[in-house]
Amino acid sequence: MLRGFWNDMKEWFLETAKVLRREFGLVLSSPGTLLFFFALPLAYPIIYATIYNTEVTRDMPVAVVDNCRSAESREFVRHADATQAIKICGYASNMGEAKRWWEEKKCYGILEIPADYSRRTYRGEQGVINFYSDMSLLLRYRTFLESLTSLQMATDADLRTMAMNTLGISAPGQESGVETESFFLGDPEQGFASFILPGIVVLIMQQSMLLGITFLSGASDDRKRLHGGVDPAAIVASPSAIVIGKALCYVMIYIPLCIYILHYIPVWFALPHIGNMWQAILFMFPLLIASAMLGQTLQIMVTERESAFIVVVFTSVAFLFLSGLTWPRYAMQPLWKLLGDIVPATWGVEGFIRINNNGATLAQQSTPYHWLWRLSLAYFITAWLVTRWKNRCVAKC
Amino acid sequence: MKVASGLWDVIKREVRLLTSRPIYLVGMTVVPICMALFFVSLLGEGLPKRVPAAIVDLDHSQTSRQMARSLEAMELIDIKGEFDSYNKAMDAVQRGDIYGFFMIPDDFERDAIGGRGTKLTFYSNLTFYVPGTLVFKGFKTMAVTTSGRIVQTTLSSKGAPDALTGALLQPMTINNHPLNNPWMNYSYYLSTSFLPGLLELMIFLMTAYAICHEIKTGRSNEWLATGRGDIWTAIVGKLAPQTLVFTVIGLGMNALMFHYLHFPHNCPTWHMTLGMVLFVIACQGFAVFICEIMPNLRLALSLCSLSGILAFSIAAFSFPVQAMYGGIAIFSYILPVRWYFLIYIDQALNGMALYFSRYYYAALLVFPIMAMLFAPLLRRAARKPVYVP
Repeated sequence: MLRGFWNDMKEWFLETAKVLRREFGLVLSSPGTLLFFFALPLAYPIIYATIYNTEVTRDMPVAVVDNCRSAESREFVRHADATQAIKICGYASNMGEAKRWWEEKKCYGILEIPADYSRRTYRGEQGVINFYSDMSLLLRYRTFLESLTSLQMATDADLRTMAMNTLGISAPGQESGVETESFFLGDPEQGFASFILPGIVVLIMQQSMLLGITFLSGASDDRKRLHGGVDPAAIVASPSAIVIGKALCYVMIYIPLCIYILHYIPVWFALPHIGNMWQAILFMFPLLIASAMLGQTLQIMVTERESAFIVVVFTSVAFLFLSGLTWPRYAMQPLWKLLGDIVPATWGVEGFIRINNNGATLAQQSTPYHWLWRLSLAYFITAWLVTRWKNRCVAKC
Repeated sequence: MKVASGLWDVIKREVRLLTSRPIYLVGMTVVPICMALFFVSLLGEGLPKRVPAAIVDLDHSQTSRQMARSLEAMELIDIKGEFDSYNKAMDAVQRGDIYGFFMIPDDFERDAIGGRGTKLTFYSNLTFYVPGTLVFKGFKTMAVTTSGRIVQTTLSSKGAPDALTGALLQPMTINNHPLNNPWMNYSYYLSTSFLPGLLELMIFLMTAYAICHEIKTGRSNEWLATGRGDIWTAIVGKLAPQTLVFTVIGLGMNALMFHYLHFPHNCPTWHMTLGMVLFVIACQGFAVFICEIMPNLRLALSLCSLSGILAFSIAAFSFPVQAMYGGIAIFSYILPVRWYFLIYIDQALNGMALYFSRYYYAALLVFPIMAMLFAPLLRRAARKPVYVP
């Protein structure tokens, strides 16, 4: 009996090896899969990095409506021009003209200085300056706001010192004030590429793999139609050998890509990369397995090569949002959170960016890591069921 | 007359095709509708407020406890707990339990009141941009008001008249007026750009699928013959039913956002309706153009997926085109959704006169014109369908 068991085991391993070999052959011989498995993961991170590589937006044109026309107002405008966000594009004679500039997209903000600005500051009343910000993009407003806040604090400090000198009170010097200092973790430059790229690359890995796998499966269905229900390129094997053999092939292809995406891309484009790379790769391993299994589960929805595009491509957008990269998961309704839970990339994005940008260790990311292994197991079972069902269909036909 | 009857025959043939396969139903209606509901429900709140955060209070004085209470009362922040060291708080950030923490140093109250100088520090995790920014905003407000209160106390103790301390604290201020979105609602940008983006992606895919599938299955000659041999009739007839379905869905999305959810809509309804109709036709034109230069189902779909997905980044819904490299920014303008987004910003959000958006509407017309100009290429491919298995 033991002998029978060993023979079965041997048989199974041989079958798995055969499936693995055949799958490699299929992947390498079709331009479509080469595109998904190699061109996409190699090129996409570079394209995204080039789009966002400038990281921040600066020197945005702002119009000035100076009704005060005093030395103080001019000085304020000069200081505003010197901030990172603002570049004064010109003086408008009144709000109407400035608005016209805004409508013609000549400026993204209007700085309005009322006639009594300098008089009020000298009188010990509060001087008020109005800033109208274009809200066509939140990033512009955020950048404006940050520069204007620092500008206001600096101007206040100057005016205060001046006023206290005239009042004859000693100004509170640097040493007696309460300083504030802020630190940005994970993305110290507050750049856009540094924030979005480390998450996107994880999603690219999962999605390109799903596309490739469903494409291969559609190709097999196409061959079946040509050959009367039998795919001549398929290996006859048990469902578990097929699923594991194929998964091994995909994971082996993606491990080198993983090193390229997770290490070289951040290094080349100077993105945050403070975590331990080996821990990151160890973390990504179950993501690759889970994606390989999920892809083999999704085969059920694809019956020809080309429908892979329609079934898989749009999910990238949904998965991006479910991952919590742009809209945090703590603010999601339970249903969407649950849906995000069963997508491997959700956990992949979360764990990877914390390891890569925040320098977390694998142990600190145990929750996502465990989830990825659980999903691998769950999708292995579904992939096995799908493969078994497909094989049975063939046997019946 | 010949053209009209040909057109009608192609339309009838197309409706039969569309209803014969579930993939059309899924791609044209189920996916866009489900995604619209998904986005609107996910982003329903507008801003993900109550960001999990923490305090590290090393002072344990009356002032520090008061600051902790004020932080807890803030709308933006949800204080999850108090840590007794920087390391523990950093560990919580790395684990993902909190998105930032506020640190009150040793002897803060004593040093601040005594004028010996002290420093409030706060950390926000910008790995997640939106919550990181919100937590920063909350902490910054807290730090600035606290430091202001202490300056005020110092001024009074130095003999500044009470009436003047307020003005001395902030001799000038800048009032910010975020035009047309004072709530800083994030969904006004995400929903209004990602839904058309998604519609664009599905139109690209379904158009390319419908046209190149004729070539793949070798039925393109029959298609052309139904159009009385005229490629323009064949294309228009084939796409007209899709135009109708996608326009209805697009207008439904607009109704959902502008009517039911009261997104800013500061222009007459027909401005956005016209924009949507032109947008749908522009997307179809773009996809037809791709099919014309690449009449192969797989290649056309690949190119459509590539441009449809990259559109979400390159059409600059969140990162301004002006800040991108010039060579990259150009690509933003070859996508219909970029022009539609500009129309939305100008018309619905900012309520500008139609005059200022004239080029955006005109740009949407360029796509179908391009498709029509290059149609003879498709006729050649349709006459001799080649399929490489």
